[in-house]
Parts: sequence; structure tokens; C-alpha cells
Amino acid sequence: MNPIDRRTFLRGAGTLLALPTLERMLPLTALATSAPASPVRMAFLFVPNGVDMAHWTPAQAGALELPSILEPLRDVRESINVLTGLAQQNAFAKGDGPGDHARSTACWLTGVHPRKTAGADIRNGISADQVAAQRIGNQTKFASLELGCERSGLAGDCDSGYSCAYSSNVSWKSETTPVAKEVNPRLVFERLFGNGKEGEQQEALARRQLFRMSVLDFISDDAAALRKELGGRDRQKLDEYFTAVREIEQRLVKFENQSKLAALANATKPAGVPTDYGEHIRLMMDMLILAFQTDLTRISTVMFANEGSNRSYAHIGVPEGHHDISHHGKNADKIAKKRRIDRFHVEQLAYALKKMQSIQEPNGTLLDNCMIVYGGGISDGDRHNHDDLPILMAGRAGGRLKGGLHRVYQPHTPMNNLFLSMLDRVGVPVETLGDSTGKLQGLF
Amino acid sequence: MKLGRSHRQPTALFCVAGLIWVGAVLQTPPRPRPSAPPARAPTYVADVLPLFKKYCLDCHEGSDAAAGLNLGKIKTQADATARLESLETALRRVQRGEMPPKGLPKPSAAETVRFAGWVKAADDATRKAADPGRVTLRRLNRVEYDNTIRDLLGLDLKLSQDFPSDDVGEGFDNIGDVLSISPLLMEKYLDAAEKVATQAIRVVDRAPRRVEGSEMKGPSSGSNINGTAMGLYAAGTATADVTLIESGDYRLRIFARGDQAGSDPVKMSVAIDGKSLGTLDVRETRATAFEIPVSLSAGKRRISVSFLNDYYQPDQPQGRRDRNLYVHNIELQFVGTTMDATLPPSHRRVIPRDVAPAAAKDEARRNLEAFASRAYRRPVRLEEVDRLMKLYEVGERIGGFELGMRVAVQGVLSSPSFLFRTELDHGTVGVRPLTDFEVASRLSYFLWSSMPDDRLFDLAKKGSLRRPEVLKAEIQRMVADGKTTAFAHNFAGQWLQLKKLEIVEPDATQYPGIDARLKADMAEETERFFLHILRENRPVSELLTAKYTFLNGRLAKHYGIAGVEGLEFRRVELTGERAGLLSQASVLLVTSNPTRTSPTKRGKWVLENVLGTPPPPPPPGVAQIAEEKQKLEGATLRQLLEQHRKNPECASCHQRMDPIGYGLENFDVVGRWRTQDAGRPVEAYGTLPDGTKFNGPTELRKILVGQRDQITRALAERMLVYGLGRGLIPGDRVAVDRIVQQTKANDYRLSAMVLAVATSEPFLKRNALPVPKETRKP
Repeated sequence: MNPIDRRTFLRGAGTLLALPTLERMLPLTALATSAPASPVRMAFLFVPNGVDMAHWTPAQAGALELPSILEPLRDVRESINVLTGLAQQNAFAKGDGPGDHARSTACWLTGVHPRKTAGADIRNGISADQVAAQRIGNQTKFASLELGCERSGLAGDCDSGYSCAYSSNVSWKSETTPVAKEVNPRLVFERLFGNGKEGEQQEALARRQLFRMSVLDFISDDAAALRKELGGRDRQKLDEYFTAVREIEQRLVKFENQSKLAALANATKPAGVPTDYGEHIRLMMDMLILAFQTDLTRISTVMFANEGSNRSYAHIGVPEGHHDISHHGKNADKIAKKRRIDRFHVEQLAYALKKMQSIQEPNGTLLDNCMIVYGGGISDGDRHNHDDLPILMAGRAGGRLKGGLHRVYQPHTPMNNLFLSMLDRVGVPVETLGDSTGKLQGLF
Repeated sequence: MKLGRSHRQPTALFCVAGLIWVGAVLQTPPRPRPSAPPARAPTYVADVLPLFKKYCLDCHEGSDAAAGLNLGKIKTQADATARLESLETALRRVQRGEMPPKGLPKPSAAETVRFAGWVKAADDATRKAADPGRVTLRRLNRVEYDNTIRDLLGLDLKLSQDFPSDDVGEGFDNIGDVLSISPLLMEKYLDAAEKVATQAIRVVDRAPRRVEGSEMKGPSSGSNINGTAMGLYAAGTATADVTLIESGDYRLRIFARGDQAGSDPVKMSVAIDGKSLGTLDVRETRATAFEIPVSLSAGKRRISVSFLNDYYQPDQPQGRRDRNLYVHNIELQFVGTTMDATLPPSHRRVIPRDVAPAAAKDEARRNLEAFASRAYRRPVRLEEVDRLMKLYEVGERIGGFELGMRVAVQGVLSSPSFLFRTELDHGTVGVRPLTDFEVASRLSYFLWSSMPDDRLFDLAKKGSLRRPEVLKAEIQRMVADGKTTAFAHNFAGQWLQLKKLEIVEPDATQYPGIDARLKADMAEETERFFLHILRENRPVSELLTAKYTFLNGRLAKHYGIAGVEGLEFRRVELTGERAGLLSQASVLLVTSNPTRTSPTKRGKWVLENVLGTPPPPPPPGVAQIAEEKQKLEGATLRQLLEQHRKNPECASCHQRMDPIGYGLENFDVVGRWRTQDAGRPVEAYGTLPDGTKFNGPTELRKILVGQRDQITRALAERMLVYGLGRGLIPGDRVAVDRIVQQTKANDYRLSAMVLAVATSEPFLKRNALPVPKETRKP
């Protein structure tokens, strides 16, 4: 059924009222008269503490043979590109001493060397996802969606004199503001689809909406008055507040209540954070898929864990902490355990990719219309090097990307070159970003 | 690049070993004693840089500078002053002969004296330029948000559970620079404000309850529905059920008419829940309203309308032969409150008294002024109240006074003046004392993680809070208040890294039964212990030496201490080698690996949190202890660690950390006492870098407590960071010195330290910056 027919069908079915939400149920562009391809979505999935590269990197360039860590991806192999040779040079110490975990997280999507500070004067770059969000995020209800499985650092130093803001956030809205992530799948669901009470009357909803808008007006005025009196970093903090208020305001003005979408996408609300870690990751990925499927956002980041995470993986036979075990000292048993963790993460990825492949869109599958970058900012967890990074890209970028390949680049190729290519693909041409030197050759 | 350590010179390896910024382990370093200071004022470029170039830069320069200490970056006097602390540590290590490392040329005595001379001069200059600094606008963190809502409205809703985590900086989650606002968090704030306002203020339900005659239940015979009315043709009763949300005064209105016949008018009696309200004559043949005032309580009410005097004479003329009653509808309208007790206390915190409709607007303004002043923790301004009144009117138009107040409260709780702790300079530039209101907030968030109470506000209003004797009395009052548990939880909990208990998972097969409850008990033990030392005016050193602790039955059982039953915590006297923090399960567990103890982590914890001399993390690429090797070769952990320390790259730090950890080896991963480890006797002896030997935890503690001044200083610095919500700056040196002196002068009491922090210059003043001219919205 072509999109025009669908619209006619909906009118005919007397569901005119539901049309605005239904329209967004489909990728927006599918309903336009010119009907271009489904929108291309991008996501960045982060795993900490490096990867056992010996069992990640395919032996040969060219046709993709999956090493043991990537083996769970066999069913979606044709949609996978393993990208070898990429680096985030700015995650190296450059005279700042220890702190690779914090640096590599902050640098992963920015390509910028973060300023070493435990608190005062945090400075990083804008991350690739946020560059896209700022330019095309206004096309969807949520400019971007930040997800994770671990809350930010609990206490003490997160890494050698770096604030926990660095090691807990890959997504940076501005040089000074990381974008907080949601770790509870239930709250993600409520955020996406609203938390309207069952049977709440239209009138009550409208009333709440009116109050919310009035409150937003009020606090904008309040903040504007306050801002006149603030200088220095105080003003910067208030600007964060302003920006956040603006974004919410626009969302309320432009997009209506989405509660019906969830039912259409055949989803139920998760109960909360499950105790099983695998289930937690899968639920967060479900939320991501739901958000993409309903076109509530096209840009997302998911941190499977924070960098330096010392989570125990007892359920797969690794009771030691992940960070501890990643400092394997070339010990074969520890490397084997690290590999088990790496593979476990990839299994969760495989779950999500298969699900995305099963979702049909007007133009191919959801997976076909995505660019999903998976990997981390540390290569070998024992050495803390930030070149030869474990990076793969899943999805066909709207049919533009050939999959099933192991693409090998010159060593130390800036990872930001990949971002430049991706941004270009979603219609955000950018000349430079971080330490980029140009687009990644031969990708699209 | 490859971290090709193997390509580097062997001397470079030594330099890595010489991780410079580790201070004295257990010894306060001697003050520099320049014997022959140069006549001119020392400068970095003339007196220090040449020494660095000659002896240090080989290793400490460039992107792979040893220990991350890049002295090559320090080129000018200003650079050097900014990094005074690192250079002081460097000087200490040079003076002790630890640097440059063994086998490399060392500076002459004269060169060292010049270095020392510069450090002293720089230190003096810094002290002269004491600066109270400037705390960045602080957003309430999650704990502070919940507590503030609790104290503002008496609602303990803990809504921040759904907020994203606050990022941590400087070891704490209350650092202004690090607390940011994302759209996600802003959404949560808006939702929370709506929830709080809805719960706080009871909006009176003024919507009328109306039942059409056709919806009423009539008697089984002699009635029918006539249009929309209930027609009663024989004596009988029709009923209507309504559900009321409000208790109070209502006006019952019945629309009815009658077919008149005979000499009497139609008689109608009305009752609610069987209680008669009286009998009415329905004389009209057209529907007419009958009103009865009535007091009702909320819930399901049954209204009955009875037709009493049926009359039927077929021989009478048409129109006079049949008497009937028609009930068109019944309506209950709320007209006012009589049952005040049903209002939640939070309602009364915003709306202290009932309002006559005519005075509603004035009352709204008064109430909002008072409420916003508490919420913003400062007197609210006229134009702010004006803006709030606009919000009030939006709600008032739709649902009356209470709804208007609710919307305005929603606005207050979303305002930056509520969510941030503002300190406004009003054009002042340079150092200014904080206002009484600002001081009240600093105190309350320091000790209570919450807003000031009424008494603090009163003193601030009177302008007397900052008077030294008042301030001192108030701090003492606050410490004694129950809300200080927040200080133990948030300050001590983060200082001692107890919050990590939530995420540590000891291996369940080796250590079964360590569940979330037991871990929470462990944290509570330490928090109660800390609070006791504070409230009972005990000295700081008792944190390490106390022969008592606080346990409940569950935790006592875990320790193997008999005679403590039930879930209540109580003071328990300790016997044997247990004493103080270093024998508490909380600390011992957060410093262990899941499968074994880690003398290194425990030693590091003590250096970091007790002595304030954290070692740097291991350089990448260094092998950790291999347990498998242990299994294969039968070596003990201690032997492996000793092996590890033979590597000069590791020795410099590990000789400081490991011995301290050895002293705690009698405590297993989860803090239980042991004399055997894997079938071998525990070896709890160690030798500190200065040659001091000890055996067992008691002897170790004795050595640690000998460093009273250092311990006091380390704690004072942490507490000041927490109190200010920012990292320390060189300008804080004098303040820290004073805090230490005052604590010392009061027998090292923890309570004296709290008082000294809360009355220190940076706590009571601020260095205001000029405000940029530009005023447009961003």
C-alpha cells in the first residue's frame, strides 16, 4: 500500500481524528506527496573497558567473517560493517596523566580532548549525536534520546581527577553540558508515550496542558529576570536551564500527546529496572526501537554501562568486576573472562538488531533505515589505548550502505571522520567536527 | 600511538615509579628551612625552572610525562603559582631524597634551598591574597530536592527517585559546576512540580452533581419516565445516588412540578440517606426549583423524593381529577467548607486560612508572597509575585481560588529561584559578606541537605543570624537536630565512599547472604558512628580508635557479636582488635575485590580518605596480581604483592599502600574477623616506607592516629569542599589553616571542625564578579 492510499484508507475508515498521531506512527516522510525513503536514524551504543581485540577484529579485510565475540551477529551479518583502524587520539593523555576511562568516554563522540578537572570549569566538545539533534531534532518530538543502564558515578573519584560527568556521559549538548541519560525503562516509556492516567478525560488533559504551558511562560520570564543579575558560570548554568525549557516548550507546541502510539506499536509499559542485567539492556533497546519505530526521535545514544564500570557478571561466570578483569595483564584466564563479557554485550546487540530487522517500514526494514554504531573508546582494557578501537556499524543507512564487510582503514584514522559521513547522510553536512580530517572514505 | 613502554629508556621507568604527587605517607613533612635565602624575591623562572630542566624534565615532560606530572608545561611564575600544591609535594619528595629516583643525579643542597625558598614565598603570597572564592549557582541535587519539598510542604514524596543521577565532582554530588540541567531533568522537574502541587493543595470540587429525573430510580409501580422527568402517579419514592468528593455545605435543588387535583397541593418529602429534610408543597404545574441547604460528608449519598398524597377521582372534571408529582432533576452544589480537618497540612502551609470569595485575590497574593519567600529562601520581590499572580489567574478562572493557588505553586516549584540556590550580587563587585538569608541556606544545605527552618528564616529577617554568637548557637542547634542525619549520610557517606556499597557485589558463593539490607545496615553503622562522634563532641581521632560502634541484630550476627537482637541500632562496646572505621564492614567491603581482599585498595583508601594523600592510579599496561599464578605456584597474595613491588614502576606507590592494607588483613572481604586465609595464618604485619614496623590492626591504628594534624587537615579539606560545593582554590589555604587550628584548639573535636567550616571566610563570603552588560535572552 503506498502512503497516499494509506491516508485515503484512514479517512475512509472514519479515523480522521486519530490521523495526526497515526501520521507520526509512520515515518513522517512516508506521508509526504513526494514520498522519499524512510528517514535514516542514528544510534550510538557504548560499551566500557575495551574489548578483547584478538577476538573482535576479523582476520581478513573484505567479506565479513565473524570472530567469536561477534559471532552472535550471524543472522544480521549482511547488515554489519566492522570498521577497523579508527581512533580517538584526543582520548590519550596528552600530558594530563591517568584518566583514560573518563577521557575516552567524553571523547568518544566528540573527538575533543576533555579538560582535566574534578569539578570547576568542565570543558569538552559537542558530540556527534547532539550536532545532529540540534540541526534535525526539531523534526521529531524528541530531538534525541539518551539511555543507559547505570546511573552516574555514586561517590568518590570516577577516574583520576576527572569529574564523573566525563565517564558517565557520551552525549554532550555543549562544551560544558552533558546530556543526562535515563536508566529506567518504565520512565523512558512514560516519557515517550506520556503518563496519562487511564481514562483521563480530554478536558482534564487539556487543562493540564494549559497549566504546563502557562508555567513554562512563567519560568521563562523568571529566568530572564534572574539572568540579568548573573555573571560568569552562574549565567552559564542558567542558560542550561533556558535551553532545556525551550526544548520542552517547542515539543509541547509542535507535538501532541503520543499515548496512542504505544498501542499501535504493540508495546506494553515495562515495570521498572529488572534485576537481570541482560534483560535491562534488552528493555532499553526495546525502548530505543519503539522510539525509532514511532518516529518520536531519530537520534539516540545508549551506554550499556558507564566507562570503568566494575559490575560483576556472575550470571555468565565472571564474578569479578568488569574493570578489574579488563586489566588482564595478558593472563589467558582473565582474557577469556573478558571475552565472555564482550560476547555477552554483543548478544544483547544481536537481539536488538534482529528485532529491528523484523520491523517492516515502507522502505525496507527498520534496520535498513538505521546507522547503529556499536563499540567503545578503549581498545585494550589493559593498555588503555584509544586507537584501533572496537567499532562496528549496523544497518544500511537507508539502503546506501553495503553490509557484510570488514572495512580496514589506515591506523589512527579519526573516528570523527565516520561521524562526518553519518551526519552528511542524515542531512547535516558539517565541515569539521573535533579532530576530523574529512569524511570516511568509501563508506557511502 | 602504541604505549610502547618497552621502547623507553630505563630511567623513564624509574620516573614512572617516582609518582611525585604522593605526599608524605605518615609523616607531616618538615617545613622548608631556607638557610640562605637569596636577597631578591625568589622567582620560579630563576630559582626553580633551572633545577627542573637539569634534573626532572627528562621524565616529567610531554604527553607521556611520568605520573602525569608534566613539569614542562609550567613555564612562568603564574603557571607555577597555579600548581603550587604539586610543586610543594615535589619539593617534599626532593627533600626526602625520593626524587630524582635512585641512581640519577640529585640537586645540590643549594639548589634545593632555592626551590624551597620559592615555594615558601609563593605560599606566603597565596596566603596574603586570601580569597573566599565564588561558588557557582548550585542546583538542588536529588537529596536536597526531596528534603526541600519535605520541609517546605510537609510532603515526603521522594520524587527524585525518577530523576537522572547528579554527576559527581570533587568527590561529592553537590558541586555547583558539575550539577547541570538537561531537558530530561527539566521534564522531571515540571512533572514533579505538578505532582507536588496537586498533592499539596486540595482543590475544592465545586462542580454540581445533577441527576436527571430519567436517571432516577422510581417505585416498581405507579411511576414512569415522562420526557426527562420522573413521573410519580401513586404514593411512592424515587431515589438518586450521587458521589460527593467534598464534605461540607451543599445546596440541594429539586426541580419539580405537580398535576394538581383535590383541595391539597402536591406534597413532596425529601430525605438524604433516609434522614428526612422535610415536606414541601408543590403548587406549580410548571417545573419550579426547590432549594434546601444541607450539610453532607463526602462519599456516596442517596437522595429520596417521595410523593405523599396521591389523589384520583375519575368523576372530577378533566384537569382536576388526578394528582401526580414530576421530578425533573436533582442537583447538589457545594457552597462552602465546614469540615476544615479534612484539609491536608500541606494545604495549610500554602493557604493558612479560609478565604471569603470577595477577598480571594488579595489573599492569594499574600499567600503566594509568603510561600515563594520560603521556597526561594529569600524575600520574594514584587514583580515576582506579580508574575505568580498571572499564573494564579489562569487556574482561578477555571477552577476557583484553590486551583489558582495550585497552578501558582506549580510555577514556584519550577522556577529557577527554587531549583537553584541563588546568591545575587546586586551589582557588588569584589568580596562581599553573604546576606543573612544566603547564610541561612548555606548552613541548612550543609548540615541538613535541605532548606532553612522557620527559626533560621526569622533570624535572617531580623538580620541577626550573622552575629558570631547567634551563628555559633544556631550551628550547635542544627547539629543537635535530627535532620543532621543528612550530613552523616551525604557528607560522611561520600567522603568514606559508602555510597559505593550499593554497587559492590561480593562473590555470592564465597560470601552468601550479603544482600541489599545488610549492605544498608553496614552504611547505617558508619553513619550513626560518625554522627555520634559529631554530636557527642568526640575528637576526630576517635573515628579510628573508638572501642564501640552501632549495630542491630542482623549486623551483629554478621560480625559474630553476640547479645544484640532486633532491627534497632544501638551502641555496642567492642572487644579484641576491632575499633573505629577501619574495622567496619562498610569500609572493608568497598575496598575489597568481589573474590578476595585487596590490601592495595584498602591502603589506597586510607591514603586518600584518612590521610589526604591519594596515590595516582596505576599506569596503563601494568599487570595486576594474577590469582591463577597464586593457584599454580602456591604463592600467597602477600608474596605476589611483594613480587609486584620489585618492579620499580610499581614500588613507589605500592610501598605506601600495601603495608597499610596488610594491617587490615584480619578482616575478610565482608569485614568479618579471620585468623586464617585459605588455610594459612593471616599475616597482618607490615613496614611503612619510613621503616616503621607494626603487626596487626591495633598497632597500625596507633601509627595512623599519631598523624593527628594530617588527619584533621585532610578531613577539614573534604568538609570545606562539601560545605562550599566547589573544589578548593589556593585562596582557601588560610581558611583551611584556621579550621585546623580551631579544631586543634578544641581538642580536635569533630563538632569544632563543623563549626569552624561553617564560620570560615569562604563559607560566609563571596567574591562577586561583574555581571556582563548584555541582557538579551540566550
